[in-house]
Amino acid sequence: MKKTLLKKVFLWLFLALPFLAFSQATVRGYIQDELDGTPLPGVNVVIKGTTTGTTSDFDGNYEITVNNFPATLVFSSLGFETREIRITDATTLNVTLAESATGLDEVVITGLATSVKRENLANAVSTVSTQELVGTTSQSTVDGALYGKVPGVNITASSGAPGGGFALRLRGVSSINGNNQPLIIVDGVYYNNVEVPSGLRFASGANRENEENSSNRLADLDPNDIQNVEVLKGSSAAAIYGQRGNAGVIIITTKRGKSGKTKISFSQDLGSNKIANPLGIRPWTGDSVEATFDAGERAKFDATIAERGSLYNFEDIIYGETGFITETRLNATGGNEKTKFYVGGAYRDEDGIIKNTGFDRLSLRTNLEHRISDVFDFTTTTNFTRSNSSRSFTGNENEGGLSYGYTLAFTRPWNNLFPDANGNYPNNPNYPGNPIFVRDNARNDDTNNRIVQGLALNTNILTTDVNRVKLVLSGGFDYLANETNVYVPETHQAQIGGQGGFVAVGKNNFTQFNTQAIAVWDHDAMGGDLGLTSQAGLTYLSQESNLVNSRGSLLAAGQTSVDQSVNQVIDQNRTEEEDFGFFAQVEGNYKDQFIATLGYRMDKSSRNGDPNKFYGFPKASLAVNFNNFDFWGVEDISQLKLRIAYGETGNPAGFGATFTSFGANNIGGNIGQSVGISGEGLAAKGDPDVEPETAKEIEMGFDLGLFQNRITFEATYYNKQVKDLILTRALPASTGFTQETTNLADLRNKGVELGLKWDVLSNQNVRWNTGVLFYLNRSEITRLDVPAFPQPGAGFGLGLGTFFIEEGKPVTQLVGNIDGVQTQVGNVEPDFQMAFSNNLTLFKQFDVLFLLQWKQGGENLNLSTFLTDLGGVTPDLETAEGQARLATPANALRFVEPAGYVRLREAAIYYRLPTQTVNNIFGETVEGVKFGFSGRNIFTITDYSSYDPEVSVNGGAGLSSGIEVTPFPSSRQFYFHLNVNF
Amino acid sequence: MKNIIKKITTLAWTFSILVIVYSCTIDEVQDPDGPSVSGVQQNASKGQLNELVVGIESTIRNGLGTEVTASGTMARELYLFDADPRNTGDLLGKDGIPLDNNSFYSTQQWNGNYRATKNANLLIEAASNTEFVTDAESNGYIGFAKTMQAYELIQILKSYDRARLDVADPDNLGPILDFNEALAQIRALLDEAQGNLSSTGGSFAFPLSSGFSGFDTPATFTQFNRAVAALAAVYAGDGTSALTALTGSYFDLGGALDLGPNHIFGLGGGDQANPVFRVPSTPENVNNGDQIIVHDSWINEAEAGDTRVASKAAPRPDPSTQDGLTGTHETRLYATNVSDVEILRNEELILLYAEASILANNLQDAEDALNTIRTSASLPNYAGAQTADALTTELLNQRRYSLWSENHRMFDLRRYGLSSTLPIDRAGDQVYNVLPVPLSENE
Repeated sequence: MKKTLLKKVFLWLFLALPFLAFSQATVRGYIQDELDGTPLPGVNVVIKGTTTGTTSDFDGNYEITVNNFPATLVFSSLGFETREIRITDATTLNVTLAESATGLDEVVITGLATSVKRENLANAVSTVSTQELVGTTSQSTVDGALYGKVPGVNITASSGAPGGGFALRLRGVSSINGNNQPLIIVDGVYYNNVEVPSGLRFASGANRENEENSSNRLADLDPNDIQNVEVLKGSSAAAIYGQRGNAGVIIITTKRGKSGKTKISFSQDLGSNKIANPLGIRPWTGDSVEATFDAGERAKFDATIAERGSLYNFEDIIYGETGFITETRLNATGGNEKTKFYVGGAYRDEDGIIKNTGFDRLSLRTNLEHRISDVFDFTTTTNFTRSNSSRSFTGNENEGGLSYGYTLAFTRPWNNLFPDANGNYPNNPNYPGNPIFVRDNARNDDTNNRIVQGLALNTNILTTDVNRVKLVLSGGFDYLANETNVYVPETHQAQIGGQGGFVAVGKNNFTQFNTQAIAVWDHDAMGGDLGLTSQAGLTYLSQESNLVNSRGSLLAAGQTSVDQSVNQVIDQNRTEEEDFGFFAQVEGNYKDQFIATLGYRMDKSSRNGDPNKFYGFPKASLAVNFNNFDFWGVEDISQLKLRIAYGETGNPAGFGATFTSFGANNIGGNIGQSVGISGEGLAAKGDPDVEPETAKEIEMGFDLGLFQNRITFEATYYNKQVKDLILTRALPASTGFTQETTNLADLRNKGVELGLKWDVLSNQNVRWNTGVLFYLNRSEITRLDVPAFPQPGAGFGLGLGTFFIEEGKPVTQLVGNIDGVQTQVGNVEPDFQMAFSNNLTLFKQFDVLFLLQWKQGGENLNLSTFLTDLGGVTPDLETAEGQARLATPANALRFVEPAGYVRLREAAIYYRLPTQTVNNIFGETVEGVKFGFSGRNIFTITDYSSYDPEVSVNGGAGLSSGIEVTPFPSSRQFYFHLNVNF
Repeated sequence: MKNIIKKITTLAWTFSILVIVYSCTIDEVQDPDGPSVSGVQQNASKGQLNELVVGIESTIRNGLGTEVTASGTMARELYLFDADPRNTGDLLGKDGIPLDNNSFYSTQQWNGNYRATKNANLLIEAASNTEFVTDAESNGYIGFAKTMQAYELIQILKSYDRARLDVADPDNLGPILDFNEALAQIRALLDEAQGNLSSTGGSFAFPLSSGFSGFDTPATFTQFNRAVAALAAVYAGDGTSALTALTGSYFDLGGALDLGPNHIFGLGGGDQANPVFRVPSTPENVNNGDQIIVHDSWINEAEAGDTRVASKAAPRPDPSTQDGLTGTHETRLYATNVSDVEILRNEELILLYAEASILANNLQDAEDALNTIRTSASLPNYAGAQTADALTTELLNQRRYSLWSENHRMFDLRRYGLSSTLPIDRAGDQVYNVLPVPLSENE
């Protein structure tokens, strides 16, 4: 530190020497946070119009030598609004800085090892800060916390079960059978977001792995650990990620230590989970029972009414629990000039709205930064997570008698399904499952132990006044050990005489390793007017998985081990893949007026037909800041930037697309081989020549800042063309294969994203800022080499409606067979989405925050109604409208419903004890105390007739959203929060 | 300054060279979890060929469940009360809804039968392109594969009335042929297979499962081949050829009715359970699991004393209604979920003999054969007129009871033009007697 300081002083002296002749004096002072008065270290203080500057020390003190009065001092720090203060003579100047509402000063990671100031950015990169992510209410998963916070993102929840089940789509669907979930990078480590199948489909009869209601493993990342989330939405921004960037990239940076006094923060949240939107039960009458069923059922109905005065409300019995949520967090940050640390731990325990469901997560994190010398420094991030969830049984099935919604569709509310005094559960007379038995006795659990380790080593090879060269070696691994456990007792109704009890135990390991080596050269040319940042490097990624699922049926009474079964089946699924790439990028910044970037990346992957063929992904962008031109004289327009960016990305085919394999297929104790997988309808033909799908995107827009950037407005238009889209399509089954996966189509996504932030009021007593997001996306299949076809694995065929890949039509269209004609009945893509957020701080003590989200348009296929109509239990069947629906043919047209909504996604009120009060009560040891109340999913206005218009029966992958079959209902959560800083 | 730029340039070059050195080749990935299909196309070992044989025997069970329940529902033999409402909706043409060519009932059988057909083609190709087996052994593999393939294609014709026969090259499929043309080619295929089997020698180079015990040598397997040929000849209306073929088969007017090869089932890995078995309802466990409900007409229209009714169906303790349908009885066709399903038993051959005899105008032979069946069901001898029409009616009725819920009724009524005689259970229901060819065939 001292050496650096000396060097700096020397440098400044050197620069200042010519001016020594003029009047010279020292300005000093103290910089603090406007909100709570804490000292702010590391604030840059620069004399405007010069390169003279300094930074504040750990106690917030600064000192700067000013040669010429009057002068203007510019105070800037990450996350705070920049202040300019004019001084006329040497003085003591104490400054308070307010937290930035606009974020124009923050830096955005744009290269693999470099970042750029937001005001110079040529792409619409969205950044979500920790405050925006978790500042309003308690969040259980990162993806669930992003609703309404990022323009251009579409989030679908495939399950309301605690612990997630979300799918993110950035700027529409960009891959259908490849990975269309964005690449997630946490502190430089590729983060595995897999949905792990549990094998419960072998008991429930669900069609595929993706109907097993698994959650995606981003659930293992504690949202509270996150400093910020950067979302590279399109190819133009994500091009430097090459062939893994097609669906966009989410870059997550976790919290870092701050040097200075060690700060300890303790938080406790207490909350409740409650079904958000119960549908109620059909108001049966004796007549309607007889009309729907027969006189015998009426007699049962009458008997139940006579016995207990009302029917059994099974919806309330199953979904009516109030789940208790608790989350405890403790973290410490601190350090000195050489070493900074962030150490934190959190434990969240969340019970679901169904008894015996829940999610808990223990997350421990250590982030360390250390400067070895002026040449070397490193950062290490370590995160261990253990999470458990019990998700029970929901969604689609076939005769398993397990999925609650499916069972309830056929369960008549005059049958008592509660166990008798001896604990014997009666059989459900109308469906092969008693939901109360399933809830009490069957299990669908998973456990995850996960370590994510990131490491970055910076080597400053050369530092001169105009050249800085560093070598950045970084990488990390992500090891996930997942265990799944499904148990269905032999006494379960559907098991008796059939499987005779079922247990499935999965032991699944996922190992990812990635590394990169990058050289960065910063060069100041043209006397400092032109800054050039060049980088070149290489990257390597390897992913391996080994999934072993052991299943036993015909269990010994009450036994839950695979060992205690007669019939045993074991599946093993292994994958291994490797990617290698290199890239180079040059970024030029001319006086913050013109900022241009050129880059190129080459990638190859074992998932491509030719594993050693390189594919190239160029990028180029230009931003022009008109407000930084000398001629700019419009005081009120503080920023006007035009920007344009182009980039290409790719996505290799999924593992296995290149080969055609036999599956083991046995009879009479002999092992045999058959095309396709035994017991499943699937027989895939590989394409040994499959190429990656590639996207080219052009993005353009402008950023406008008014009145010292108190109002900022961003507008972006993009056009993203995906070429050689990899599609799994049904083959003529007479070939012996049911499907192949190969490059078949082109797809275009076009859209608009608008964002407005307004710092409405900012004075001593009131701070109010508000934000509005608006975005829409339109997709079209622009080329299709084969006849139009229903997307396999997404929907239930043309009879009931399915996603349908057809040239000239949106990729998200829903098509059904209506009177023998393939007809588009809907489109799950919303017309547009909006979000409206408000943060209000009153008297520095009260925070009021809320986030409203509006999704306009888009349709869902509600097949829950199909089932409840069939079982006669749909709540509206006592109405003429309901009866009229019952008389229409059971096709897609009948079940398509508008799925738009307006939702109060988050709202909160917090109170911060005044510093004086804190000191009076707790003395000096406690720095701040804050408590408050918040809610999530507080209300929803929608025409959709089921639990939640955000739904997907097919999990997160592929074209999955918008088809509903008896999901886990969404919940509404309320919390009490307490936060103490030491 | 120049010096520095030089240094940087050198550094950049060094780095670039490092990059190239480091960019080692990535190995092509092989499936870690299964052998590749292309691996058997040249010089397959005997072990590989035998695995394909097992694969064929295993996969001819594919689609069996839907085959029986879909055609049985369409022919008003049964209802399937399960979680999929299309079983009581689409298949009965509820409210006029047409059959869909992209739903499980139209795709599962097609997919299953053609997968077995593909496996047979792979075996034929593999056995023809290997040096590891003798010609005689090769003929055994090929004769087996062609016979099984022919059997599977006949199942396609029964359900879809059409079939695609030239399917060896996935990238160059032949046309979908109509019933008569397809059947003619299938009969030729069976004769070719007979030729292969006749030059196989005394034994096969491969084992078959216990389902084929008694039919697991070239000579006895040829009997199965001829039985299938007789079946095909009858479906083609060729009584004389059918009678000839039957003489080469295990047809035995006085023999055990259940003689013939079977599908066998198991619950282990890669194996399959009997898909037509349903858990019996008991007073304690009423309507337990999904149910195959016997169509009331099958119970009500049975001749008094027909023992087949009681052996194949049992009264339901609580005859519930689903989708406006009900029935008093449920299936008892199979005792357990691993009970055998007969592929082509002597009972059916006797009925084929009766039918072939009517076609060949040997009416007394037909009546005798029908009486054998009647006697086995404890019914008195046939007392109707000895005319082709009357005997055909009697034949169809015996087939209805002997082969209930075995995927025959829909095809029988269709080939005799009698589908319109089926009862309508709900106003608005339709009778369909042929499944649509799946959408994926891109017709």
